[in-house]
Amino acid sequence: AAAAPGKKITARIKRTLPVRGPQAPTLSELMRWYCLNTNTHGCRRIVVSRGRLRRFLWILLTLGAVGLILWQCAELLVNYYSASVSVTVQFQKLPFPAVTICNINPYKYSSMKDYLSELDKETKKALETFYGFSEGKSKVRRSVDEWNSTGSDFFEQIPLLKFEDFSKTATDLRSGQKRKIEGNVFHKDSSIVNSGDSNDIIGFQLCDANNSSECAIYTFSSGVNAIQEWYKLHYMNIMAQIPLETKEKLSYSADDLLLTCFFDGLSCDKRHFTRFHHPLHGNCYTFNSGENGTILSTSTGGSEYGLQVVLYIGEADYNPFLVTSTGAKIIVHDQNEYPFIEDIGTEIETAAATSIGMHFTRSRKLSKPYSDCTETGADIPVENLYNKSYSLQICLHSCFQKAMVDSCGCAQYAQPLPAGAEYCNYKKNPNWMYCYYRLHEKFVKEQLGCQQICKDACSFKEWALTTSIAQWPSTVSEDWMLRVLSWDKGQKINKKLNKTDLANLMVFYKDLNERFISENPANTLVILLSNFGGQLGLWMSCSVVCVIEIVEVFFIDSLSIVMRRQWQKAKKWWNNRKRDRAGKAPQAGDLERQGHDNPVCIDEDLPTFNTALRLPLPQDSPLPRTPPPNYSTLRLEAAFTEQLPDTLEVGQR
Amino acid sequence: MNLKKYFVRALHRLQKGPGYTYKELLVWYCDNTNTHGPKRIIKEGPKKKFIWFFLTLLFASLVFWQWGILINTYLSYNVTSSLSIGFKTMKFPAVTVCNANPFKYSEVKHLLKELDRLIEAALERILQPTLGNSSESSSPPLDLHLWHQIPLVLIDEHDKDNPVILDIFESNLNVFAGGNQTSEGNQTSAGNETAVGNQTSEGNQTSVGNESACSHQGSDNCTYRNFTSAAQAVTEWYILQSTSILSKVPLQERIRMGYQAEDMILACLYGAEPCNYKNFTQIYHPDHGNCYIFNWGMDEEALNSSNPGAEFGLKLILDISQQDYIPYLSSAAGARLMLHQQKSFPFLKDQGIYAMAGTETSIGVLVDELERMGYPYSDCTMNGSDVPVKNLYSQYNTSYSIQACLRSCFQNHMIEICGCGHYMFPLPEGVNYCNNEDNPGWAYCYSSLRSSISDRQICIDSCKETCNDTQYKMTISMADWPSEASEDWIFHILSYERDMSTNVTLDRNGIIKLNIYFQEYNYRTISESAATTIVWLLSSLGGQFGFWMGGSVLCLIEFGEIIIDSLWITIINVISWCKGLKQKRAQARYPDAPPTVSELVEAHTNLGFQLEDTGVLPRDEALPPEPGTPPPNYDSLRVQPLDVLGPDSDAE
Repeated sequence: AAAAPGKKITARIKRTLPVRGPQAPTLSELMRWYCLNTNTHGCRRIVVSRGRLRRFLWILLTLGAVGLILWQCAELLVNYYSASVSVTVQFQKLPFPAVTICNINPYKYSSMKDYLSELDKETKKALETFYGFSEGKSKVRRSVDEWNSTGSDFFEQIPLLKFEDFSKTATDLRSGQKRKIEGNVFHKDSSIVNSGDSNDIIGFQLCDANNSSECAIYTFSSGVNAIQEWYKLHYMNIMAQIPLETKEKLSYSADDLLLTCFFDGLSCDKRHFTRFHHPLHGNCYTFNSGENGTILSTSTGGSEYGLQVVLYIGEADYNPFLVTSTGAKIIVHDQNEYPFIEDIGTEIETAAATSIGMHFTRSRKLSKPYSDCTETGADIPVENLYNKSYSLQICLHSCFQKAMVDSCGCAQYAQPLPAGAEYCNYKKNPNWMYCYYRLHEKFVKEQLGCQQICKDACSFKEWALTTSIAQWPSTVSEDWMLRVLSWDKGQKINKKLNKTDLANLMVFYKDLNERFISENPANTLVILLSNFGGQLGLWMSCSVVCVIEIVEVFFIDSLSIVMRRQWQKAKKWWNNRKRDRAGKAPQAGDLERQGHDNPVCIDEDLPTFNTALRLPLPQDSPLPRTPPPNYSTLRLEAAFTEQLPDTLEVGQR
Repeated sequence: MNLKKYFVRALHRLQKGPGYTYKELLVWYCDNTNTHGPKRIIKEGPKKKFIWFFLTLLFASLVFWQWGILINTYLSYNVTSSLSIGFKTMKFPAVTVCNANPFKYSEVKHLLKELDRLIEAALERILQPTLGNSSESSSPPLDLHLWHQIPLVLIDEHDKDNPVILDIFESNLNVFAGGNQTSEGNQTSAGNETAVGNQTSEGNQTSVGNESACSHQGSDNCTYRNFTSAAQAVTEWYILQSTSILSKVPLQERIRMGYQAEDMILACLYGAEPCNYKNFTQIYHPDHGNCYIFNWGMDEEALNSSNPGAEFGLKLILDISQQDYIPYLSSAAGARLMLHQQKSFPFLKDQGIYAMAGTETSIGVLVDELERMGYPYSDCTMNGSDVPVKNLYSQYNTSYSIQACLRSCFQNHMIEICGCGHYMFPLPEGVNYCNNEDNPGWAYCYSSLRSSISDRQICIDSCKETCNDTQYKMTISMADWPSEASEDWIFHILSYERDMSTNVTLDRNGIIKLNIYFQEYNYRTISESAATTIVWLLSSLGGQFGFWMGGSVLCLIEFGEIIIDSLWITIINVISWCKGLKQKRAQARYPDAPPTVSELVEAHTNLGFQLEDTGVLPRDEALPPEPGTPPPNYDSLRVQPLDVLGPDSDAE
């Protein structure tokens, strides 16, 4: 009989509270329920603590802990993409790098005579007129006559000028006329010009061919630089017109350059070298270029087991204006890399043995999102003009060449040709030099955007070189050495070699340790999650379950409670209206409302159980016969009922 | 007594059957565990129960999966490196200085006289093949004994298949038919090539006659080493021959023939303090003769340097007396020097650099250290004791290095295969150096061993690098020295000091100045530390467990406890089942068996449990008959009924 009202009420509650779980009627009840039952620490303390100060302290502490968790987790997220560096050293058989060897002088002067005689003649003349320098009297006199008769193209194109004290006047070196200078003045040598210096400043003028008032003047503090630079411009013009096959023939052959070769204790010869034509250095020869598919490797370090070559430099055949130093240039690079001899070559002295010890380092960076580097260069909007793997250098050069073709209409001689373009020469592009200089200026000042577009390569190989020089051949061995080497050189040259024509080069691994520097992701998702877990657990003993709880309680349940309240309000209003109309008071709705906000009903954690247990009591007898059993699950309730008045007040408002 | 009591209780328990069922146990566990999920399973309504069950399962499997990953990460023993750069007081490196030429020519001339005459004549023949005879007639007859062991030949490869081999002194043409000519990538593509080869012959260790016959008939015993350049061929040949000659000379004699410290080291200044040749330790290096090591740290403490810059480094003036070089042995002239760690052997061929005569060479040093962790983080060795190669360099009292290991490995191979040791490497006890008299085939054996890739690979595989690797990065720069203006007085003073003579006995070709000093930043240390330690592992494991389930080690222990309990239940169940079997048999006699105590207990406790287990609704129905006093169902009391009932049942 006692069960009947309980059941009734339960059924009614079920009807009115469609939400399962914490069937709390108000938000504050829900919060209370949450605080008491949540797995996180702290919340419970707020509810359980007595005294305002203590409660306030606990609220503060809990909020602090939440704040700390959020802060630390944000830190963890921000630092997620960080890399740790590891260095591994492996001792192993190492692939020998490609070694590219060039003579500093690009083409044999004797064979270039046909192309350069005009230019050289005029250069000499210029030297004579400016500096009073002459090689042989008779020769010069003859050429002076020629000068007057031919009327030089070279000076017409780019006049050499001598400046006086920056008074904006200059003497044309050929005609001796003074002229006013218009246009911009660029100082090649330094940005600080000592105008008070007694030395004359020499330079040349480049004009826009289409618009002769647009001129740029390049000045040099020394005539040596000015003449060389001036010569180089003309030289590039001339060379741009010669086809590649001819140029290869004009330059040094492998037989010319390489006298002896010795690798890893075995003899080698020109077949181990691959020819590679460099626009500025002529024919270069790459040892171990990997062209035939095999890459040599060394399994022993030390000078005996590396590459040993004796080079024939042939100083007599040097171009006097183009290059002023003697020797060879070498570069150690990977087989896939393009050798930028002009940029990073090491120079080799003649009459000396240069020993180059290598130490191999391989580095790998992590690409996006860890750092801004590129694996293959495919994601960079610059076409790779070189037939080699991507590097920053290649990108910059390609970028410049592209800009050159775009703005000047022809390609610069020192870099490979893009498709459909041809090299500049002033027969076809009279304007190119001016254009080139302006563009180069821009490039250096990073106005072309190349430096922004191009990215580092993610992985690179590096051979650290230790270069040292010894005298070679030694005084006592000089005699037989030169004789035997002359014999080696063969029957073509009958004269005995001079030791200043020779250079001995040794390239070897100092040790076979490969140092591999790699970046690794410092964090993985697993580690990030465990760090989160550590933080959550440390401050609040929380877990994902708590997060789900929070979502459940603060979003779903709160929302449903709010909705319910609104719904009931609306219902009440509707009922009121209906009652007003009908003039009859509906009892059920009110009763329900009271049942909810009834203090006896509300305070339960598990309303169904408690209502079942308690509701009959006030009906049957005001005094319970036996106190309710003190189950462990019910222990919370005890504290709860004591707290009741406080929270109830809040709840009812 | 306690023990006895415990056993009695256990016995009773066994007899009476389990106090709980699995379900009770599980529910109790879910309700009381500290992990976050399970509690929700039993507390929520049926739909949510299912969701929570699923979630808990999912989280548990996530935790285990990620634990697997973490443990895997830990077991891969990753390392992170940290780099530090700066200046601090550091040990000045040991500096080894040698002459590029091993012996004074004036001292060894009597040993090499025959060889030199031979090579001169040979060169004469090579360079002027037609006029060769005239010069020979004037000189005393050559001793062709040396020659026949390893003759120099000209190989004419005009015809690829039948190269013509011309012995320089015999002037008879051999058409080399077949055989094992080692033409190292030398197959002529464009004819017209004359290669100079030197022939190494594998003698049959019998007589000289066999040697000369080798080129005629024993083609299976001969290999030709081809050289494209005569200069190379002559040098290699000379080195082979001279090694054989010099290996017979006792060590003391060889040291005497080399350069003496007082002749070589003319001036020395370390920091602001003067030093002299006595501060150098002499060591005999097979490649370079007498070498002198400054600050080797063998007998005395290593010197520290606490200041950067050339003023505080080591300044040396050396004399290499180039006039006294052996002309055919080394063609490069200069001093060979190397910076290395204290107590390590200088491997000049690998790490050494040249200093040129007539110049001042300045070497700025940066110490590049790599400190690595040993096993299991990386495969390196701390002191070489775990490397299976006998370190022959330990006789110098030096520490292990990879170069020492490789050379020892090679020498051990050489001794094993050729029966004698190579002159360039130290000897183990009881073995002699190779020479042409005792081991006629050594050159062949050596060259085949040297070019064998597999042998080298064996050595590479068996040697390990050292964990602490120190490199001296050098910035080398050179200037002419002495300057023309100061040349006179410098030569005068140095000559006077050395030879006590007023004449100038030195010249530009022999004199070298060296400055070795620390750069502004003198060290760069890359040190490794374990990326994953056991502490890291534990905190990550804890983090994972805490993140997904809010658990800790105690939760695991709880879980273990439950498993033990359930095992216990199983045991009891099995026993009671066995009892039941027995009773069934007994039932034949007594069809109406009285209920067992365990059944009673179960019936009693079940009531209480069910109220909690099945949640709210059943309870409503169960309660009404006895609303006032349900049986006490305290957790703490759960064990009690057994105990209370125990004596009763005993009494029964």
